[in-house]
Amino acid sequence: MKKCLLATLALFTFSYAENVEDLKKELEKQREIIIKLQERLNQLEQQQEVLNQTKEKLQNLKTESTIDKILSNPFSQAKFVPDISLITDFSYVSRSLTDDTYKSVQIPGFNHGFFHSHGDHGHGHAPYNAERGFNFNYSEMYVASTVDPYFDLVGVFHLGKDSFEIEEGYFQTRDLLYNLKLKGGKFYSEFGRLNKFHHHVWNFADAPLIYRAIFGEHNLNETGVQLSWLAPTPFYLLAGFEVFQGDNENNFNRNGFKVCTQIETTTKECTSDKYIKIGDTKKPNLFTFFIKPSFDIGNTSILTGVSYAQGKTRINHLEDDDPHALYGDTKIYGFELTARHTLDSYRYLLLQSEYIYRKFDGARFGYNNNGDLQTPRFVKKQAGFYVEGIYKFAQRWRAGLRYDLINKNDVFINGRNINLPDNMYKYSAMIDFLPSEFSRIRLQYNYDRSLFTENLERKPDHEIILQFNLAIGAHGAHGF
Amino acid sequence: MRVLAFLLILLTFGFAKAEIKVVATYPYIASITKEIVKEKAQVDYLASGNLDPHFVVPKPSLSVKLRNADLLIINGASLEVGWLPPLLNQASNRKINPGSNGFLDLSQYIDLIEKPENVSRAMGDVHPEGNPHFHLDPYNVLIISQAITEKLCKLDSSNCDYYKNNLSDFKKRWNEKLAVWNSKMANLKGVKVYQYHKLFDYFLKRYRIISVDTIEPLPGIPPTAKHSEELISKANSENVKMILQDVYHPIKPAKYISEKTGLKIIVLPQDVGAVEEAKDIFSLFDTIVERINK
Repeated sequence: MKKCLLATLALFTFSYAENVEDLKKELEKQREIIIKLQERLNQLEQQQEVLNQTKEKLQNLKTESTIDKILSNPFSQAKFVPDISLITDFSYVSRSLTDDTYKSVQIPGFNHGFFHSHGDHGHGHAPYNAERGFNFNYSEMYVASTVDPYFDLVGVFHLGKDSFEIEEGYFQTRDLLYNLKLKGGKFYSEFGRLNKFHHHVWNFADAPLIYRAIFGEHNLNETGVQLSWLAPTPFYLLAGFEVFQGDNENNFNRNGFKVCTQIETTTKECTSDKYIKIGDTKKPNLFTFFIKPSFDIGNTSILTGVSYAQGKTRINHLEDDDPHALYGDTKIYGFELTARHTLDSYRYLLLQSEYIYRKFDGARFGYNNNGDLQTPRFVKKQAGFYVEGIYKFAQRWRAGLRYDLINKNDVFINGRNINLPDNMYKYSAMIDFLPSEFSRIRLQYNYDRSLFTENLERKPDHEIILQFNLAIGAHGAHGF
Repeated sequence: MRVLAFLLILLTFGFAKAEIKVVATYPYIASITKEIVKEKAQVDYLASGNLDPHFVVPKPSLSVKLRNADLLIINGASLEVGWLPPLLNQASNRKINPGSNGFLDLSQYIDLIEKPENVSRAMGDVHPEGNPHFHLDPYNVLIISQAITEKLCKLDSSNCDYYKNNLSDFKKRWNEKLAVWNSKMANLKGVKVYQYHKLFDYFLKRYRIISVDTIEPLPGIPPTAKHSEELISKANSENVKMILQDVYHPIKPAKYISEKTGLKIIVLPQDVGAVEEAKDIFSLFDTIVERINK
């Protein structure tokens, strides 16, 4: 009996267990169905929404706007417009030298006046602030953008009253390894401190004397390539070299010339059939190297550096009243020091100085009183510096002083020093008012004792320049 | 041979220790980043917290910091437009150029306020993207920390879990702080203030404080006598309670207005390092909340 009971109980338990299992399965099925239904509902809801939206759009099409009014501009590239800016410089000049005198004076041993244009190079803009009274110095158009992940492109177009010049047009790489950067095209050399900066960021309305004397009105603006490298040192160390075609008229002009061996002394016409031909230089002609370390001491940043430029020289003044030409080698050394002490967000003290030394070694082609060609050895060793101090004493105000000196001017003809003036100097003072970051009004006074007549008579010059410099558009930020 | 082996070992260790280098433009970004990376990455910043964030001197030494960076995190919304591009150009570091992997612009993750419909420089130094000082809303700090973590995970996936843990820990502590700040700031709801520049707008908006006017007549244009007189004359009628002054603009105009009107001047830090107490992102907001409640 007991056995029988047990067996029944066991059977019952089993069958009950089976029922529970069935129920569970059924429940699971129901749940799955519910989930599926939910999903379906969601789908339907979404479809309904899309339908409604479509209906709405259709409705709009019918009522508010006809099909013609929906404008499409599928090929617009407006968002890719590069940064474009326009910078204009305008000035009022008061000068003690008359315009005629100012055009005729020169820095002896260096140039034949700021207005001189060489025989084979008719281009280029007149010097800034050339005349007494109003001067429209330039409008400069900047266009810059990233080309693709690999390059940036910059164009700077210098527009004068009656001239157009591509002042700069260069690419530079964005993607080279090892902190290298390659730059190519037409651009300002990294030689020295001031050289690479455009006029509108200079601390004074004019370039330092030594820059104008050695490089001329364009500074060292050349066509070629530059490779620069930010060295992996714990402090800033920029090193680089440049290879240029050689355009600088005062030093590295690459174009050769033909010199007649005898001329008629009054008409300057060639009276001989014999010519000496000086060929073009090797091209590229100009090589530069620079190394610039920088470090901070407290709130003072110091940037220093040495630069070197070397190339062959061809200078052609054969069309002048006193026909002559030079050929040889030029080497230029530069030393720079900039210290900027930050006082607060809007005030700083800046000290900037550069020393530049040039050596030319070659021959001079000229004529004696009988019109016979003379070709003495010609050597120039010349140097000078400037030092300027700027005090930004309020958010909108800056004041500055500059001292310029050319203290070495040794010119040797066949080894004999011809004793040119070597004490040419200039004092400048300026005060800047900056209504905003985009405008500048500057008053500058110059006392210039570097200018001489052809007979080496010094012509001291007092000069007052009131400068207006304004920028519109998208203009990239300036570096240190 | 032995030298070679030594070099190899050195190289191996070098790689093993290769932690990523993060450079932030402003100290507050560096502080948030440190909360996420702790010891797993080097974090440095470019601008000083006590100087005007719009006008950072692009000294060459800053290029050195950028030269070796694996990740550059910027505030964005044109706050760096006047000083960062030449530094980036000088650094020639392909890893951190905009558009590459190692570049993060935080403003892209935030809904900026005061976005102008039209811009002209006649309006002063306006930012076309909107007000760039978004980190001063403490709720935006959460978004910023999230964005930084996601970027770090992408760059350094092996430490991703670590960063995510630090993020959730940071968020927990930040939310606790938010509760404290919210309750302290509740008293100031509806209070009217002047500020020098539209620097604290995100903070003020969060806590319903009303910025009536700025001491500078237009963004970036220094105060004028005429505008100061306007502020003095309407202080009473507008029921203005205080002047919020930042640490880097001259305090003289605020003092002048205060003398004529009796308004309190409260000097507020805008970034880590602006005042001594603001040592990190937590104490920056502690200091702001404490000073504004005085």
